[in-house]
Amino acid sequence: MNANTQNQSAVMSDTPKPVVKPSEIQVKNVSKSYGAGLFEKQVIKDCSFTIERNKLTVMIGPSGCGKSTLIRLLAGFEKPTAGTIELDGKRITGPGRDRLVVFQESALFPWMTTHDNIMYGPKARRENTKQNRGLAEYLLEKVGLSAFRAKYPPQLSGGMQRRAELARAMINNPDVMILDEPFRGLDCMSKELMWEYYSGLFEESHRTNFFVTTDIDEAIFLADRLLIMSNIPGQVRETIEVDLPRPRRLAFVFDDDRAIAVKMEALSILHKEAMKSFSGGSKAASDFVEAYSKRSAAAETAEQ
Amino acid sequence: MNQNQTADLLKRSMPFQTVPGEMLEAIAKLARYESYARGDVIYHQGDFADDVFIVSSGAVQHTLGIGFQATHPEKIVRSGGVFGWAAVLDNQRTRMAKTVCMERTELIRINGEELINFFKATPETGDIVMSRFATMINKEYTMPEEVAGHVPHFTQVPVTVATGLSLTMFRLSQWLKSPKPYLMMTGFGILLATWYLAVEVWKLPRFADMPGLTTVMKEWFSKDPVYGLSIWTPEYYQHIWVSVRRILIAFFLATVLGVPLGLFLGWSKTFREYVFPVFETLRPIPILAWVPLAIIMFQGSETPVIFLTFLASFYATALNTMLGVETIDESYSRAAACLGASKWQVFREVIVPGAMPFMFTGLQISIGVAWFSLVAGEMVAGEYGLGYVINTSYTMVRYPTIVIGMITLGIVGYVSSALVRMAGDYMMQWRVRELALGGR
Repeated sequence: MNANTQNQSAVMSDTPKPVVKPSEIQVKNVSKSYGAGLFEKQVIKDCSFTIERNKLTVMIGPSGCGKSTLIRLLAGFEKPTAGTIELDGKRITGPGRDRLVVFQESALFPWMTTHDNIMYGPKARRENTKQNRGLAEYLLEKVGLSAFRAKYPPQLSGGMQRRAELARAMINNPDVMILDEPFRGLDCMSKELMWEYYSGLFEESHRTNFFVTTDIDEAIFLADRLLIMSNIPGQVRETIEVDLPRPRRLAFVFDDDRAIAVKMEALSILHKEAMKSFSGGSKAASDFVEAYSKRSAAAETAEQ
Repeated sequence: MNQNQTADLLKRSMPFQTVPGEMLEAIAKLARYESYARGDVIYHQGDFADDVFIVSSGAVQHTLGIGFQATHPEKIVRSGGVFGWAAVLDNQRTRMAKTVCMERTELIRINGEELINFFKATPETGDIVMSRFATMINKEYTMPEEVAGHVPHFTQVPVTVATGLSLTMFRLSQWLKSPKPYLMMTGFGILLATWYLAVEVWKLPRFADMPGLTTVMKEWFSKDPVYGLSIWTPEYYQHIWVSVRRILIAFFLATVLGVPLGLFLGWSKTFREYVFPVFETLRPIPILAWVPLAIIMFQGSETPVIFLTFLASFYATALNTMLGVETIDESYSRAAACLGASKWQVFREVIVPGAMPFMFTGLQISIGVAWFSLVAGEMVAGEYGLGYVINTSYTMVRYPTIVIGMITLGIVGYVSSALVRMAGDYMMQWRVRELALGGR
C-alpha cells in the first residue's frame, strides 16, 4: 500500500458514510384484491420476483398495472391477500425503517426547512448524533442543496424537492430503498440530471434499490435488472439483465447498441401488454388489434 | 474540424450534454482544434491551467501527482472524455496531473476564462454545466469539498435573510411607498365624509337625530365631556379594560380548549363519532339564546358574560382546527411513519403544524365573534364594558357616547385581530414564505 492510498483511506473515514447492509426482498406468489364478492377486483395475481442484493432493480409496466399497490405491499402499509413477501427470509408484516419508501407525490414537510426535513428521521428515532448531523451535511452537499438548507420546501424547484427527498430517505440508511416513480412530473432536463444524481448515489453504496417507473429511458439508464409487468392483474412478464457498465452516461445510453436492443425488447413486450389493456379484455377488440398488427407487419415487409 | 463536429463532440462530453443546441454552437466557437503525436506531453503538473480539453480521437494518459487523492491516480482519457478542468476552477489554476498522448490524438481546447465569461451571460445553463463538472470531479476524487468548492456559481443564491428591526423598517418603508396607505386613507375619508354630509350638511330625514361627526369628535376629545365620557376620563379606560379582560379570558379558554378538541376531532375517528353530532347540535344555537341560561348557571355579572363570549369563540376555533387536520395530506403522516416516528410523534410533529394554517384562520374568526358576543352579553348582563356603555347611553339618551363606544369597539377589535394575525405569522414562517412566493 503506498502513501497515496493510505492518505485516501484516511480521508474516506473522515467523510461520514453510512455502512450499507445489503438486503434482498423476495416476493412469492403474491396476490392482492380489493373489495369482496361481485365487487372484487384483482390487482396483483400470483406475482413472484426477487429484488436482488446490491442491485438496482427497475420495474416498468403500463399505467394501472398494480405497481403502486405492490409498493404499498412492500412498504407494509397493506397486506397481500395471498402469498408472502420476505426481507432476508423474514416475513414483512408492517412498515419498518429497514425499507424506506419514496412516494411519487412530494411528502417533504412544508413547515420544516430542507435541513430539518433531512434530519427528521434521525430526530424522530432520537438519534440526533454528531455522526448523523455530519451525514446530513454530507448528503446536502451530495444532492447539491447546501445553499438551500434553510429554505422551506415550497421555495425549492421540483427537482430540488426530489433531491431533498432522496437525501431524507438515504440518511436513515435503509437496507432497501423503494422508489415509486420519484421523478414523475419533472421537466426533461431536470429529470436527466436527477438520473445522474440518483445513479451516482446508488453507485456509491450499491444499496439494494427498487425503482418503479413508466419511463423506458429512465428504466434503461438506471437498471441493473429490469422487470416488465403485465397488464392488470399484475405479474412480472419478463426479466431483463441490463449489463451496461457503470457509471453510465446519457449520450452513451441513447447511442449504445446493447442499450437500444434492450429498449426494443422491453418496448415490444410493453406494447403487447398495452394493447391488451387497450382492447380491454374484449375478444373482438383483441382480434381486431391482432389483425391490425399483422397487416401492418405485412405492409412493412412488402415495402422492404 | 468544423463547428458542427465540435458541437457534436461537446454534446458527447459529460459537462455539456444537456446544453441546448444553439449555445453549443456558441461554445464551439471558443474551441480550438489541435492534434498531437504519440508521446507528446500536453501539460505538466504545476503548469498554469488555462484550457479545458476534450478528446476527439486517440487516448491521453492522465497521471495525477502525489497528494491528490484520486480514486484512480492514473487513467486514460478517450474520445468524449474531459480533462484539464482545473482551468474552470476558482483560485485553483494549477495543473494537478501530467498528461501524455498514448497515440495520435485529436482534441479541442477551450479557454477556461472565456468559458466562465460566456456562462456569466447565461447563468442558468452555466450552473448546470458547472454542477456537472463538479459531479465529474466528485467521482474522480475523494476530496470533493476541496476541489468542488472551487467550481464557480453563476446564479445568485441569497443565503442571509434579514430579520428583526431592519426587516420591520424595510417593510414599513415598502408599505409607505406602495399605494396601500393612501387607498386606506381614502376609504376612511369617504366613510367620514358621508357621515358628516348626511347628518350635518344635508340633514337627511332619518339622520336628523343622529349624532354628527363634529359633535362626536368634540365629545370624544373634550376635557370636560357633556355626557361624561371622553378620552380624558378614567371611566373610558375602565370600560375598555373590563371588555378587554373579558375577551382575554374568554379567548384564552376558547383556544386552550378548542384547539385540542379540534385536533382530536380531526385525528381520531372514534372520538369524532361521539362528539361531533353533539357539537353540531349545540353550535347553531345563537349566543343570545344562551343569555338566560348563562345568568341562571353562573353567579355575578362577570362569569355569564365571559361564558357567552367563550362559547362563540370556542366553536369557531374547534371547528376550524378540525378542518385543518382533515386537510393535511395523508402522505405526510405516511412519510413520518416510514421515517420511524411513533403515533404520538406523528400527532405532534405532523398533525399540529399541518393544521396550523386553518387553526389560525379559526383564531381570527374566533376573536371577531368574541367581540360580537361580548357586546351582546354586556348589553344584557354587564356593569362595565363597551357593550354596557352603548346600551346605557341609549336608555339615557346620550347619543354621542353611543358612537364613541362603537368607534372604540372597532379600533380595539381591529388591534386584537391584528395581534392574532401577527402571532400566526410569527409561528408559521414557512407559511408566510409560501404565500409570499404566490405573490400574496
